[in-house]
Parts: sequence; C-alpha cells; structure tokens
Amino acid sequence: MAVVDKAGPHRDSRSFSEIVNDEKYRSVFYQIVVAIAVIWAANYLFTNTSANLEARGMSAGFGFLSSTAGFSIAWSIIDYQAGDTYFDVFIVGIANTLLVSLVAVVASTFFGFVVGVMRLSKNFLVAKLASTYVEIMRNVPLLLHILFWYTVSAALPRPNTSLELFDAFFLNNRGLYMPAPVPGDGFSLAVIAAVLGIIIAYVIAVWAKKRQLATGERFPAFWVGMAVIFGLPIVVFVIMGSPLSFDFAELKGFNYQGGASVPRAFCALLFALSVYHTVFMAEAVRAGILSVSHGQTEASYALGLKPSWTLRLVVIPQAMRAVVPPMISNWMNVVKNSSLAIAIGYPDLVAVFMQTSLNQSGHAIEIVAMVMLFYMTVSLTISAALNYYNKLVQIKER
Amino acid sequence: MTDTMQTDAVFHPKPSMPPPPNTVGVVGWMRKNLFGSLVDGILTIGCLALVLYVLNSVLQYTLINAVWTANSYRECLDINKGEGACWAGISVWFNSMMYGRYPDPEQWRINLAFVTLFAWMAPFWFPKVSGKMLVGASAVLTFPFLAAQLFLGGETSLFHQAMVSVALVLFITVWLHVGTSYLMGRSIGDVLVGITGFADKDDRLHKWVHMGFFGVGFVLAFLYQSSWEFVEVPITVWGGLFLTLVISGIGIASALPNGILLALGRRSKMPVIRVFCTSFIELFRSVPLITILFMAVTMMPLFLPVEINPPKLIMVIVAVCLFSAAYMAETVRAGLQAINKGQYEAAQAMGLNFWKMMALIVMPQALKLMIPNIVGSFIGLMKDTTLVSIIGLYDILLMAKAAGQNPTWLGFHTEPLLFTASFFFVICFCMSKYSQHLERTIGGGYGRR
Repeated sequence: MAVVDKAGPHRDSRSFSEIVNDEKYRSVFYQIVVAIAVIWAANYLFTNTSANLEARGMSAGFGFLSSTAGFSIAWSIIDYQAGDTYFDVFIVGIANTLLVSLVAVVASTFFGFVVGVMRLSKNFLVAKLASTYVEIMRNVPLLLHILFWYTVSAALPRPNTSLELFDAFFLNNRGLYMPAPVPGDGFSLAVIAAVLGIIIAYVIAVWAKKRQLATGERFPAFWVGMAVIFGLPIVVFVIMGSPLSFDFAELKGFNYQGGASVPRAFCALLFALSVYHTVFMAEAVRAGILSVSHGQTEASYALGLKPSWTLRLVVIPQAMRAVVPPMISNWMNVVKNSSLAIAIGYPDLVAVFMQTSLNQSGHAIEIVAMVMLFYMTVSLTISAALNYYNKLVQIKER
Repeated sequence: MTDTMQTDAVFHPKPSMPPPPNTVGVVGWMRKNLFGSLVDGILTIGCLALVLYVLNSVLQYTLINAVWTANSYRECLDINKGEGACWAGISVWFNSMMYGRYPDPEQWRINLAFVTLFAWMAPFWFPKVSGKMLVGASAVLTFPFLAAQLFLGGETSLFHQAMVSVALVLFITVWLHVGTSYLMGRSIGDVLVGITGFADKDDRLHKWVHMGFFGVGFVLAFLYQSSWEFVEVPITVWGGLFLTLVISGIGIASALPNGILLALGRRSKMPVIRVFCTSFIELFRSVPLITILFMAVTMMPLFLPVEINPPKLIMVIVAVCLFSAAYMAETVRAGLQAINKGQYEAAQAMGLNFWKMMALIVMPQALKLMIPNIVGSFIGLMKDTTLVSIIGLYDILLMAKAAGQNPTWLGFHTEPLLFTASFFFVICFCMSKYSQHLERTIGGGYGRR
C-alpha cells in the first residue's frame, strides 16, 4: 500500500490564519497552555511547601513511620500496644475501618433487600411504612444519625444490669460483649474442608451448567453445592471431636471480662451506617425490580414456567443487572462514610492516623497521602469489580 | 332495510348487577390492599402494631411528656424524669443554632440577605416573566458581593462597592421587570425605550437607552450604598444554620459551572486536558469528604506562601467547592453521554462552533435529563456540609453539640440533634419533592412523543 503523503504540495504556502484556525494546531496549543499552567501550579505549591517546612523546621519523608507512636488506641481488632510504630497505627486504623464497613455493608444490603421489596408490596400499609422509612432516613445527614444513635446508646443500662441474650451476649453502655471462639487442635482441618467444599461446589456448578446446555437436563447444583460447602466441614469437625470452645464474657467487678467485645461507639456507628445505607440499597433494589418489564413475566408464564421458576430464572437475573451496579457503588460509600467514626471516637483510619498521628508527628503531607491512597485503592478495587460484573452481565447483542 | 326492522325486537340487556358489597368502598379497599391473603393480614396487623407503638412513643416523648418552659436541663429532668423532650432548651439555644455567635443587633443583616436572595429568585416561579436565565445569571454573579457586604460589613474596596451597586441596580431592575411584565405585558427594556420615545428608532439605539438608564441607576445606587455603615463582623464568629447555608450555598452555586467544565474536559479529545480532568475527578470522588477537609486545613497552609494564612472557613469552602465540582462533573458527564450523537452532528452541520453547540444544543438537553441527579447531588452536598463540624467550624450541628456542654444545660444532647435533624429533613425533603415536580414539568418534554 502506498503511503499517503499527508504533507501535500501546499504545506509551505499555508497562511498564518489557516494555522490558527486548524483544529489540530489549536488543540496542541491549548494542551501546551494547560500543561504549562499545571506544571507552574505544581512548582508553585512545591516551592511554597518546602519553604513552609523549612520555616517550621520540619523534614518530609516516610521515616517517621518506623518511630514509636506512643499513644494508645481505645479499641482495635488486631493487637496494638502503646509502644508500636506509626505504621502499626496505620494498619490498625485500616483494620478497624474495614471491620465496621464490612459488617455495615452486609447488614445494609440485607435490610436493603427487605425494605426494597416491602416498598413494592401490594399491601398498602407495608408499602407506606417502607417509603416513610426511606423518606425520613435519607433526608437527614449521616453525621446526625451517628451522633444521635451514639447519644441514645448512652442511655443503655450499666454493666451490672446489662441486656442479656442466652446468657452469652450482653449489651450495656460500654459496648456489646460476645462469646469468643477458641479454636482447638484440628480446627484448621475443618477450615481446609470448608475451602475444599467451596471448590467442589464450584466445579459441580460448572459441570451442571455445561450438562444443561448440552442435554437440557437440570441438576440441583445450588442445593448440592450448599450441602457440600456446609456438610463437608461439619463432618470433619465432628470427626475431629468438635475442636472449638467458646470464651464467654463474665461480669467481674464493674465490667465484663473475657470473650469478644466491641465498644459502644462501634455499635452506634454500625447501627447508623446500616440504618442510613439501607435506604440507598432499598432504592437500588426497587428500581432494579421495576426495570424488568411485565412482558417478561407474561412471556415466561406463556412458556409454561411456574411462578417460582419465573421469579428465579427470568425476573431476578434481569433485575440483578440493574440492582448490582448502584449497590456496589453504595458499598463504596459505606467504606467512605465509615470515616465519620471520628465524630464519636471510634478509632478508624481517619481518627487514629489522620488526626491523632498527624497532630503528634506533624507529617501532614505523608499522612494525608497515605490515607487517600488507602481510600483510592479501595474504591478503585471496587470499581474494577463493578466493571468486570458489568461486562459479565451486559446484554450480548447479535 | 330500516323499514323491515322492528323496534320492539331490539335487545335490551338487563342492567348489570352491583358489585358484591365487599369489593367496593372502604371494605373492598381494605380487603384488596390490607387483607389480600392470610400472610397479608398478619403483615398488616404487625405493621399496624409497629406504627401505633412508634407513634405512641414519639407522641409521649415530643408532646405529652415534653417540658416547654424551664431555665436549666436539671429543671427539665426534675419535671419529666427524662421521659420527654425538653423543648425549653431549644428556645434558649435557638438563636445560637441559627446564627452562631453572630452579634444579636447585627443579625437583621443575615435575614435581609436571605430575604433578598429569595426575592431575587422568586420571578422563576412567575410564569409571565421572560428572560429567566438573565434573572438567574444576575443573581448568581452579583448577589455574592451584596451578601459579602452584608455579612462581613466594615470597609470594602472600591471594586466591591461598585459590584454592590450593580447588584442593587439589577435587583431593582428584576422587580421592575416583574411589575411591567404583569401590568403592561412588556419587558422592562421595552418599557424604558417606550417612555423615552425611541421605540421606532434603530435597535442599536435601544441598547444605548438601556445603558443610559443603567448608568443613572448605578450612580444613584453607588451614592446610596456609600452611606452604609455596617459594623465589621469577623468570619470567626459566623456559625449555626447561617454558616451551614453559606458553605453549602457557595458549594451548590459553584458546582454546576465547575462540574460542566470538568465534564467537558473529561470528554475532550485533547489527551492532556482529558487526563488532567479525569484524574482530578477520580481523586476527589474516591476519598471521603472528611479527608479532603482535613487536607484543606492541614495542607493548604503548607501549600500557600509563608506570609498568607487564610481563615479556616475559606479553606473549607475551597475544599467543598472542589469536592462538589468533582461529583457534579460525573452527573453532567452521564447526561452528556445520554445525548444522541446526531444532536452533536446536527449542531455542527448548522455551523455552530464548540461552545455554541454545547450552550445551545447539547447542555440544555443533558441538564434537563439529569435534573433529578443534579438536585440529588445538591441534597447530598447540603447534608455533607455538616462534616465541617468535625474540623471545628461552629455550624448548626456543632452548635447543637455545644448546647449540651454548657454548664446550665449539661447533658442536653438529644433534643438539639432532633431539632437539627428536622431542619435538614424539611429542607432536603422539599428539595427532592421540587425536583420531582421539575422533572414532570420541564424534563417531561424530552424523549419519544
């Protein structure tokens, strides 16, 4: 193929106005202007920052991460002592943030489905109750929810008159106390069995799908898979002689000792996050279900599918396509909003690292950058998962 | 044909029987919507019990056991043993929660500014008034100067005084325009041209007539406003709902223009601009607002020259503006993506350049489509403004918390929070209902007819 000669014979005779009005030259010019402006701004900020740091006698760099933080953290899911380093504080903060967001995600997703389905109920009272809940909760700022539930939870009884459930769970104004599982010898075998069960269930599902596509015969892959996932570890667990005991919390002196516990701030934060985000999950569910046209249901009935199959094979798969994307971005919002924990003193990443550590060490730039990097990692991971899901379920057209 | 037909042989159907009494009226409605099946009935009764229980508790707390007059929280507790609300405290703290520590004798200035803003925006709801875009633009561009003068007071620069005068002239013009539109059915410009007798002259002269009136008005307004003597109120004493509205108002007003620019940049064909806008949007959207606020108050002093030390409020407003712009950009981008490519091509075929194509063809459609989302992000911003209390600005939420730390009102926590929550509920609920209304009235024109 002949190479097209872009520089035609008239190239040299172009007048100035032709060059000015040429889109290509213009766009290059604009880009150079923007690039110079950005570089100038970055340079300006950099010189100012170094001048400021010098004036305050501070040095930049991540060396401070290995020095002792020297403050204690009210509560953490992983071990932390007052003598640990700033980097340990960072990890503790991340663990605490992820813990509360994970539980809140599970709770709000579950209740979101409940409320979303309730709003579509044919029962007038049920639907109105759900929509009233949605309207009230979503029009009040999350921070107010958190402060409100934290204030209200201060009125819980004192430890010696705790609310009890089965003599194992205790709720009082210090927090929630639960039995802690203590794994014995051979418990790891049961865990391995559980992982193995999941793999086997996956293989069965793939096989069943292949067989159905080939022969049209259906295999109850879901129930068999569930039986394998739960059955296998239970069998191993029983064979090994139930190597799991529980450490119960007990009232000793003024408070409960032993067991596992979460502070009141955790409970209030979790409750507020769940109450608030349930609304957005519910809206996603409602919109998703409404997005499946009624014709789909009718077509499915016309093919002779029974109502339960219609729901499971026709309506839900199509609704999920519209439900999942907003739901996943809500999960991301839960993680981001858990940073409001700082208002009630739950030691999450922002509270322990961006506030306490920053105030103590003064390394503002490094600490802000690290915290932002964490949140960006989480949100980029979640949006990558979302893109993958979208690609998976998008309608494949001819 | 007709003469062979016998009229008495025509079939007269019997009137249909009335529907069974239990399928119509209240009973029928209840059978259909509340007790459709056994499960439905159980659900209904369960929900009814829940509603009654909640209503009863709420009424007990807010009305029946509430205390309306007391001088301290202790007194309230002595009267109702903590069983009900202590609304007496709200009336004591009301002023602080509205205005913060803004001095009492100067608070009329805040009220005046907000009344002016509403009056300025009111013509939007008058169907007969033309040129609504001009009304909106005049308010957005010049009201901030008037508001700053009222809120801050003190000595101002000559430029600021000039802008305040422009704002005054434009505000009066808007209302004269409303008057002439309703009384004479003509715009203020036509009326001015008419009374000076230039109506049948060249159009270019009309513009000079307008300018002349504007100039006279400007001089009068300038002389009038130079007589103002407002006591200076430093922004460190601003607080309460006033501060919340200032921060969210500036955030909301700046979000749309900045968001549109960022969205256009992200869709631009120029790689440098696209990369810059995309990374800005993604950075600000992926981190929580509280980290951006912390960044503003800890890092901005480092970024600026040593001798400049801006007040916290300014840094927070900058942070909120950047944050809201990033969110708005994604909303606008979604709207732009929904516009058919044919619209762009048709605009280009008409010979419109890029900015005219965007302003006249694409943006009106894209923004109309996105009204619910745009208002949604305004509501979100309004709610997010409460976060400034975490970094120590005395907005309505921090004032509410401060009430419970006062020695006389120690422990007075729940009521101020409930009061604040009801404020936000009213504002946000009205905004969302209004956006649904807008969607029906102006957004409905889009789509297949």
